[in-house]
Amino acid sequence: MFQLLQSGLNGTGAGSYLPVVIQIIFAVGLVAFLMVVTHMLGPKRKTTDKLQNFSSGIESHGDARHPMAIKYFLTAILFVLFDVEVIFFYPYAVNFKMLGWNGFWAVMLFVAFFLCGFIYIIKKGALKWED
Amino acid sequence: MNALLLSALMGVVMMFSGIVLKSKAAIRNIAIAGMLALLLVNILEMNGTVFLVIDSKGMIGFDRFALLFNSIIFFSTFLYLTLSARDMEKVGVNYAEYLALIFFILCGIALVSSFRSLIILFLGIEIISIPLYILTGSDKLNLKSNEASLKYFLLGSFSTGLMLMGIALIYGAKGTFYTSGINMVNGAISPLLIAGMLLLMFSMAFKVSVAPFHFWTPDVYDGAPTVFTSFMATIVKAGVFIAFIRLFDEGFASQQPKWKLIIAILTAATLLIGNITAVFQQSVKRMLAYSSIAQAGFMLLSVYAMSPDSKEGLILYAAAYCMATIGIFAVLIKMSDYTFDGFNGFAKQQPLLAAVTTIFLLSLAGIPLTAGFMAKFYMIKAAMYNSGLLWLPILALVMAAVSVSYYFRVIQAMYFRESSTPSTLTVTPAFRYTLVALAALVVLLGIFPNLLLAWLYF
Amino acid sequence: MPIVYYLYLSLALFCIGIVGVLTRRNAIIIFMCIEIMLNAVNLLLVAFSKMHPPKAGIDGQLFVFFIMVVAAAEVSVGLAIIVMMYRRIHSVDVNFLNRLKH
Repeated sequence: MFQLLQSGLNGTGAGSYLPVVIQIIFAVGLVAFLMVVTHMLGPKRKTTDKLQNFSSGIESHGDARHPMAIKYFLTAILFVLFDVEVIFFYPYAVNFKMLGWNGFWAVMLFVAFFLCGFIYIIKKGALKWED
Repeated sequence: MNALLLSALMGVVMMFSGIVLKSKAAIRNIAIAGMLALLLVNILEMNGTVFLVIDSKGMIGFDRFALLFNSIIFFSTFLYLTLSARDMEKVGVNYAEYLALIFFILCGIALVSSFRSLIILFLGIEIISIPLYILTGSDKLNLKSNEASLKYFLLGSFSTGLMLMGIALIYGAKGTFYTSGINMVNGAISPLLIAGMLLLMFSMAFKVSVAPFHFWTPDVYDGAPTVFTSFMATIVKAGVFIAFIRLFDEGFASQQPKWKLIIAILTAATLLIGNITAVFQQSVKRMLAYSSIAQAGFMLLSVYAMSPDSKEGLILYAAAYCMATIGIFAVLIKMSDYTFDGFNGFAKQQPLLAAVTTIFLLSLAGIPLTAGFMAKFYMIKAAMYNSGLLWLPILALVMAAVSVSYYFRVIQAMYFRESSTPSTLTVTPAFRYTLVALAALVVLLGIFPNLLLAWLYF
Repeated sequence: MPIVYYLYLSLALFCIGIVGVLTRRNAIIIFMCIEIMLNAVNLLLVAFSKMHPPKAGIDGQLFVFFIMVVAAAEVSVGLAIIVMMYRRIHSVDVNFLNRLKH
């Protein structure tokens, strides 16, 4: 994918996409092949047990749609936020030497604001599991 | 730059003040002191004192216009906090967070008022919008507030999508995000540029609730807690308007023949829809929401005319509109009944409050001797001088006359109707004095508009 | 490959997003459609940034970072609002949003 973006726009011929096409054909072909083959080779035993939901050998009980604690949601959201902020470290890491001390202080400012947010959510008890 | 950094810092300070301090009065005092400090550092910057210079590669540029506008915004917010900060306590438990969000929004306004690059425009608009979604839904137990918030969020992020597409297309056509680069004419005009400009125009029109894109405004303003409606309808709206005028002044000035007629049509539609629908409202809160659409129409005249005159007009209009509307909302928040009947006999129960409310309403209607008159005068003058379309200023005049009818309904209810229920209004003396000072300011600006406009040049 | 293909692809994605927003009634799906719109823009920006000369091109890729981060912030606020709504009326259907009409 990366190579596709790098070379694609400069008008190189369709030939440079040949490896991609081959890989797609191979991937789709393999999946289709395996599906057909397992269907033909495997023995078929239909019992009621096999039609049930199965997860790690634990018997399923209840409905998956029952209300969950809001904490899961909160943690997930906070994860998304802090996860994405890391994007800004990537360009800095690439240009680490070139940006010098100015860049360093800019990133420090960013991290400081970041840390303020983190301390805030801890103080607010957003990450506390036991009440 | 001073105000930009301080407002972000103040936001963080407010966040932590909610954890450290238990007393709401202390939190409120910190916020008001912070607001004063913000105003102070901004005025210092107007006089040339900059505390910290950060190299933004020319993406942010604080000029006189932006700084004066920021000063008006900060001053209005200061008034807003002194008048209404006490009422935020009733909305919910997260008092400090509401104030923190207000400071973050101010940070966004400081960004959009001084952007030189579309990246900053986008960031600023989002820094304004995202806290607003939260403030709209802050009354968690009220279903109307929840709905308003969801509606605002979905439509707001949709318009953000349009804006981003516009920016991307402009970038495709011009290869830069800088407004100066976009304004340069080299060779044939790319259709990408025109498409991008239209998308940007529509999404900005959405954010300031200009007519075909106004449908969210009454619902959201009505559903949001009244304290925050006051903030959204005045300070935020004026703040996004400066982004609007700056974008078209610096980014698309060379394309003027292409967008002038569209802006004229948008303006006319906004004036018509805002004013005429406002006449039929039964609730004062909803009437003020429609009136804010109508006032957006007048402010859009400045984008249409696009001259030094119209910039002066926008400054004056923003000040007049913010102060008057904040004053009316400050009184409205104290009322228990938001319909016109709720104001019946108000003049007998609270003669002073009724008098200042009357001044604010007169200013909004554009009656002479108030700031609103001068503001409307500057706008219409600018539109007259700088256009081939004479019907637009004439329509604006007619609509200003229509607007008198619904503003006077409130005055009529206050002075000429008898109240059926005794007043339950309780206000502090400080609230009274601030309102009187605000009304005096509105009248003063109406007589000497140059007191404000002189700041633009010296 | 000419730039127009990228333009078409991202405009197609963008239009899918717009049509989704306008026709679907589930708040979460509307929100996903908005995200599709944003990602279409990201794709377009990256394509344009390769098209323009190297120095100008960096800006476009930088903007993509900003869009991603802002989108994440929007997701967190938006989902919180949707969850708040769901806990009140046990539905995320936007057709229920009619209490404000009167």
